[in-house]
Amino acid sequence: MAVATCSRTLEQEYGIPTAPVSTFEFIGFLASDLRFHGVPLRFIYTPHPVAGMPPSVLRDYVEGKDPATQRIVVEEIIEALTKPVREDEFAGDFAPASRTGVRQPLLASATEDDLQRLFHQRGWTDGLPIILPTEERVAEMLTGTNHAPDEVVAEIFLHDTQEYLKFTVEMVAIVAVMAGARPEHLPVILAVASTGHPSIVGSTTPFACMLLVNGPIRNEIEMNSGIGAFSPRNLANSVIGRAWTLLTIQWGYFRLKKQFWSSQGNPIGHNNMCVAENEERSVWEPFHVEKNFRADDSVVSLFRGWSFVNNVVGSSTRSVGEDTCVLLGALPGLFSSATLILDPLVARHLKENDGFQTKLDFGRWISQNYKVPAGQFWGTDVIHMLMAPVAEQGVEPYASWKRLPPETLIAPYDKPENINIIVVGGETSPMWKVADFSYVASASVDKWRARPAMDGCTDGSCGLPDPD
Amino acid sequence: MATVLRSAVLNPEACRTVRAAGEEAPAKARSFSSLAPRLNSLDGKTIYLVDTGFGGSGRFLDQVQGWFAEHMPSVAIVRRRKTGHSIFRDDTKDLWAEIKEKGQAAILGVAG
Repeated sequence: MAVATCSRTLEQEYGIPTAPVSTFEFIGFLASDLRFHGVPLRFIYTPHPVAGMPPSVLRDYVEGKDPATQRIVVEEIIEALTKPVREDEFAGDFAPASRTGVRQPLLASATEDDLQRLFHQRGWTDGLPIILPTEERVAEMLTGTNHAPDEVVAEIFLHDTQEYLKFTVEMVAIVAVMAGARPEHLPVILAVASTGHPSIVGSTTPFACMLLVNGPIRNEIEMNSGIGAFSPRNLANSVIGRAWTLLTIQWGYFRLKKQFWSSQGNPIGHNNMCVAENEERSVWEPFHVEKNFRADDSVVSLFRGWSFVNNVVGSSTRSVGEDTCVLLGALPGLFSSATLILDPLVARHLKENDGFQTKLDFGRWISQNYKVPAGQFWGTDVIHMLMAPVAEQGVEPYASWKRLPPETLIAPYDKPENINIIVVGGETSPMWKVADFSYVASASVDKWRARPAMDGCTDGSCGLPDPD
Repeated sequence: MATVLRSAVLNPEACRTVRAAGEEAPAKARSFSSLAPRLNSLDGKTIYLVDTGFGGSGRFLDQVQGWFAEHMPSVAIVRRRKTGHSIFRDDTKDLWAEIKEKGQAAILGVAG
């Protein structure tokens, strides 16, 4: 947390006494920070939240009581700057972090129902029943890769406990079993794990992620990139996306008020919009090729943001570009990041009728034509929070935008290369989605494979049960 | 009748940390002496109010500034937004140097 780290720097490197202020909601996090950094900052707490409160309430916060100590906040501020810390003030706060003790590799024998309850109670699940990772199932899962079970796939840093978690192939296989995956899905899940990126981050905001698969593996494992690709229907899409969240749980990111702070959460986290790109029906270069992979490489790409908006009935009155600009109006435009998810019909229309020969051509059009008043842009909290410091550092064009009158129009998507475009859908209607997702990372699936690439489903709409 | 599993179930948390089993997490020694010396009084001093950028922080600091103006007018208040590119880590140097040169104390907030 920046207030703590900045206070430590000022105190220790610059010799400046500080009075760090936090809302009461974060007292647990700051206790961990104190424990691991060992610097007895005298935090002062206000009621929560501060955001959105009118001046009269904020004045009451200043003149009212600290909910942690029942002392007057402004008096504590003055005291923090003028009174040395007493030796007894932080008694007990420097105790070692509690650990759960030695973890046995096998759980005690129990009934399936009891084990399901245990997994849920220990916080190992996403709230849904899981497939119990028996030795037999995990061994079978491990046949999906030629990597050794004890090979470390990723090291994950936990901010609250300052621990590094080493995550092995076997641990990923356990999670894959729990998610309901099959051995042929394991290379994709290992590729996701190898990035070390969690599907949520420690934030009070409702972060969400998207997981995109490109290349031959999509069809070999019958991922759906066609009709209803984002719907809960296809096994591979569902379980691979779910596995990312179960990995994230095992990495500790869902520990309440230690790493997990999202006030409302986000239902996207159930399977992280796991999907394949419909390369066969797309008129443009596949996404992974844009990221310098070969077309016959199999690749996962990860995206992160908060929200997406659907175009719901196509675009007959306005152009696709114009309607995309309307949809973008619901999103903040943070660092020019957006992700457009186009049905193949839309992509074809854009290329054949509107003349956009590449995805980047359309991104450039969006970049030039989507505009908002500067005041509206800077008035968005997340922009003020994350981009205003960059503007104040003199980075252009943000510094210039910051000086503009509020009514002056700016084009906030100034980096067309940050507008990601992927093609997904079954061509039943020319629709699309617009998300505020930024591109995070890509990773090779092929290095984790047990077998070389094979032929598979070829029309995008794959792996859909159709009993009639 | 309860379902019986044919093989043992693996613990998904087993062996996942780098630390040896039973090893304590690293507790840092107390470091009271590493804090800056406190001021004898705020009278006549220059205090920087540093807005770290979270929603509402600036408006809260407005009220802190207002309180000092009303109740301790001898204190000179300087308002600054934290510089650097991130509100999540300390990538600031210029502002800290300015506070060191021109100020005597800082109030930072609001976390959350």
